[in-house]
Amino acid sequence: MLRKSVSRPASRGFSVLKSLKTTESPKSTQNAKPNDRFKPLSDAQVAYLDRVVRVDQAGELGANYIYAGQYFVLASKYPHLKPVLHHMWEQEIHHHNTFNEMQLKRRVRPSLITPLWKLGAFIMGSGTALISPEAAMACTEAVETVIGGHYNDQLRCLNNQYELERNDGTKGHSQELSSLIATIKQFRDDELEHLDTAIEYDSHKAVPYILLTEGIKNVCRVAIWTAERV
Amino acid sequence: MLALSRILARRLYHPSALEHQLAHSFAPLTYGPGSTQFKVLEHALNKHVPSYGFNERALVASLNDLDLGPSLLSVIGASNSPSFLNASPAVLELIKFHLVTKRYALTKELDPARTSSPAEPPALETLFHRRLELNKPIAPHLTQLLSSLSIPGEFLVQTALPELHRLSDDMVYFSKEPDANDFAWYSKRIALSCAFVSSELFMAQDRSANYADTFEFAAEKLHNVSKLGQYYNNTEEYMWYTLLMSVNLAKSQLTRS
Repeated sequence: MLRKSVSRPASRGFSVLKSLKTTESPKSTQNAKPNDRFKPLSDAQVAYLDRVVRVDQAGELGANYIYAGQYFVLASKYPHLKPVLHHMWEQEIHHHNTFNEMQLKRRVRPSLITPLWKLGAFIMGSGTALISPEAAMACTEAVETVIGGHYNDQLRCLNNQYELERNDGTKGHSQELSSLIATIKQFRDDELEHLDTAIEYDSHKAVPYILLTEGIKNVCRVAIWTAERV
Repeated sequence: MLALSRILARRLYHPSALEHQLAHSFAPLTYGPGSTQFKVLEHALNKHVPSYGFNERALVASLNDLDLGPSLLSVIGASNSPSFLNASPAVLELIKFHLVTKRYALTKELDPARTSSPAEPPALETLFHRRLELNKPIAPHLTQLLSSLSIPGEFLVQTALPELHRLSDDMVYFSKEPDANDFAWYSKRIALSCAFVSSELFMAQDRSANYADTFEFAAEKLHNVSKLGQYYNNTEEYMWYTLLMSVNLAKSQLTRS
């Protein structure tokens, strides 16, 4: 995963289909001893993991397209915002790719209304950016607040409900789960850093501030609810 | 619509089988190779279904061969609710058993959870071809099988369609075929399922030597699917290119004036 993210070229072309052309590297095949293996996950645990991967993938896709929209509108008009937006966008792309890989590896179905998420996110990003750069930052602030909270909910559940028992009686997290938890933790910290950046770049000075942030927060909550299920 | 929502609600997350035990080694079957049910059904499928077809006679013949009483017939079908259209639950179980075990047989050498040295992932066409090969022994009874699978009802929603989806999902996952992260994930599986069902329908009517026509038909069908996918991808890429180019053109004209 790390190797892949390093070797990726820094700039992106217009092709949205590049991911189709990369073939997945063969999976690692170290066999654990039967005694080290964990007892089967319950149906509810599996169903929750399924939701986690799907909603996080859809969420990072949304974030990616929101920043794409903002960058598209703001980058040439406000050169001082360009590196800031570019940095945040790059991080979101990394998050999105990570969850894309996880979705394929764990065989989770992506959200059925992916095209709608793409369109909606791009419109939200470019729309707020068209109002003013402050409004774009307010949009970032609202989105990252909801996403950060949602990641925290997931971490709470993953830490509390996934104490698995091995065949020899000892308990713990499997590598798969601890790596998922570490990933989500890392991404939550990144999102909260974006939140701080947005406030630093005058998100509070956006004109219909309460209206914008509360509206976008509600949109995000509805989107999360939907992406978990559909 | 109801069927679609039921299929969507089914969980698909696959935990790493190297770290986690599976609840059932032949999920969605709830019994393993050691059980009586499995032995009877396997015996019937290999020995008697090729001659009798998918019906109770095949099962009764197997029960007699294995010295088991005929009352076991009702035990075998216990996990299926009775169908309105007079198909015995035990026969439905036999059909389910056929679908599930053939699907697992397809990926036995490819799945790192079930073999210590998994083979290189083959092409999608190879897997598709191999799955049709597995149908050869029961090919004279395919019409009967397909009609029981397509009768609208609980069995269609709970078993036939999910099993078809799992088959195409397995074929994509265990082959070299690049997978998609967005809506194409769905279209790929639906197209593959359609190609598979139509090949099976063709096979049911095929009278050529060794089903040569079927394999030709299947290869062409699959080729059409991938060609259609390429058309779509090329169109989408061209549209993106045109869109971005016109935006940039407009921008450059605006800065000039």
